[in-house]
Amino acid sequence: MRYVKLPKENTYTFLERLKEWGRLYAPVKISEKFYDFREIDDVRKVEFHYNRTIMPPKKFFFQPREKLFEFSIKDAEYRETLEDVEPFVVFGVHACDIFGLKIMDTIYLDELPDKYYKVRREKGVIIGISCMPDEYCFCNLRETDFADDGFDLFLHELPDGWLVRVGSPTGHRIVDKNIKLFEEVTTEDICNFRDFENKRAQAFKYHEDWGNLRYLLELEMEHPMWDEQSDICLACGICNTTCPTCRCYEVQDIVNLDGNTGYRERRWDSCQFRSHGLVAGNHNFRPTKKDRFRNRYLCKNSYNEKLGLSYCVGCGRCTYFCPAGISFVRNLRTIMGLEEKSCPPELSEEIPKRGFAYATGIRGEDI
Amino acid sequence: MSEKKIRIGFYALTSCYGCQLQFAMMDEILQLIPNAEIVCWYMLERDSKEVEPVDIAFIEGSVSTEEEVELVKEVREKSKIVVAVGACATQGGVQSWTDKPLDELWKTVYGDGKVKFQPRMAKPVEEYIKVDYRLYGCPPEKRDFLYAIGTFLVGSWPEDIDYPVCLECRLRGNTCVLIERGEPCLGPITRAGCDARCPAFNVACIGCRGAIGYDVAWFDSLAKTFKEKGYTKEEIIERMKIFNAHNPKLEEMVNKIFQEVKE
Repeated sequence: MRYVKLPKENTYTFLERLKEWGRLYAPVKISEKFYDFREIDDVRKVEFHYNRTIMPPKKFFFQPREKLFEFSIKDAEYRETLEDVEPFVVFGVHACDIFGLKIMDTIYLDELPDKYYKVRREKGVIIGISCMPDEYCFCNLRETDFADDGFDLFLHELPDGWLVRVGSPTGHRIVDKNIKLFEEVTTEDICNFRDFENKRAQAFKYHEDWGNLRYLLELEMEHPMWDEQSDICLACGICNTTCPTCRCYEVQDIVNLDGNTGYRERRWDSCQFRSHGLVAGNHNFRPTKKDRFRNRYLCKNSYNEKLGLSYCVGCGRCTYFCPAGISFVRNLRTIMGLEEKSCPPELSEEIPKRGFAYATGIRGEDI
Repeated sequence: MSEKKIRIGFYALTSCYGCQLQFAMMDEILQLIPNAEIVCWYMLERDSKEVEPVDIAFIEGSVSTEEEVELVKEVREKSKIVVAVGACATQGGVQSWTDKPLDELWKTVYGDGKVKFQPRMAKPVEEYIKVDYRLYGCPPEKRDFLYAIGTFLVGSWPEDIDYPVCLECRLRGNTCVLIERGEPCLGPITRAGCDARCPAFNVACIGCRGAIGYDVAWFDSLAKTFKEKGYTKEEIIERMKIFNAHNPKLEEMVNKIFQEVKE
């Protein structure tokens, strides 16, 4: 990998130059406390030290709402409405969010790629940025705190600039075209880089092993935490819509008033909604709020075989943006027995039937 | 689609007529004319006839007089599909937002004046007849109207909305006035479909599209959230009731949260 240094005084010039590679998006403050990726006109509005954006960067590739195709019923025809995607640059992506995109890729760029996602992924330049964790971050426990790939450039903060890792041919081209903005990396820079990384590693709230989480979740389907926490849940779906790896969508056909032509639209969906598990005959795979609540925990902690990671990247959004104040991390730690409220084993004469296959109320038998 | 024109009726009960105005002013309505016969819609058709057999009957307004009870029953008998339109027809409207008895309300407005109708407490259309589909909101959304008619035209059935405004806040990229400013936003219990219009202007949702059906409006969880932000039970119930006066679960679920504390 190639390493160069971007001196601090060149930062804004560099951002300005990035616009030559496409429309520039970066984190900005959108309200009193929250940040989001927005198109950048004035590069001085870019936030380098944001905690997390309310919308994850998946929004650039898997769009919140998207027209898929237009159809005509009389002609029995449809026409895909894949728009001409212009190149664009997403600046300031944290390591966890880069892993989020890598996880999205394993789903949407597999043997049957989603062409709407693919075309945007090909046109998007990703520039990562280092960060200091806050109390909501737990990417260290998810092994997503340092991205080895999945970016074109990655900027690590130094006292007097940025140590830049070059991660792709496009990254090389960006550096080469602006070579006068960059310097060679010195021994002092390396020391400063190490220093930053050490401080960062120390700054995480939890330092523990979550290796047994996946099967403990499956075994603890009847844990009282599920009832207590799902009871206060609003089922608003914000945990899903702010998640960098939630990828479920809902489709709807909208027919025009001519009773012939129309279009199909898709939008982000949430497994916290009733209709997410609703199938023909009014059956529902997850008929209760508790089932839907539990589903997200199981889905996020399941195993992505292609990457050897869980689907949760530890960005902390689902806790930070939960209107009901539900802590995903605390609930997981409760299941693992790391919070005070761990479960005492109940003594029983019978062999307890435990696990997903025995859990009550998950198959919708009351319907 | 059959070649026969679809027969449409639009009937108004006690309301501001804003719902039919909203739709009558749509440019797209012209597309509908070759496919539809407007049997009754006074705002569009001078020669409207009330009440003739129709394929789709739209009803706006709340049932607020004896005469309107008879009217909705007749509309039901003569229509294949009945669609309740707007907050008044679907939830009873803001005119239902009162605990005062009818006599007192009557006196406040009319005093000793005489009128030629028999008043009743305002109620949603569904309290009297079976309703097949609903278009929510105050006023309802053009998009919902287009979607429903278009879907009916091709002989299919439009989907109901069972998810909250919060989804559309996120899709639209809004911030969150509930988390960030602690405002009593009813987004989490209110049906989406408005594209989170009010929160997009930093105004907390007042729930004009009504609480989500199918028992997934979690008044209790939201009351707990509001309570933690310092709102009283009375404030919470009053706000939630603006557009949900006839919801049978609302008070019970909010009360549950405040009872738990006393113990």
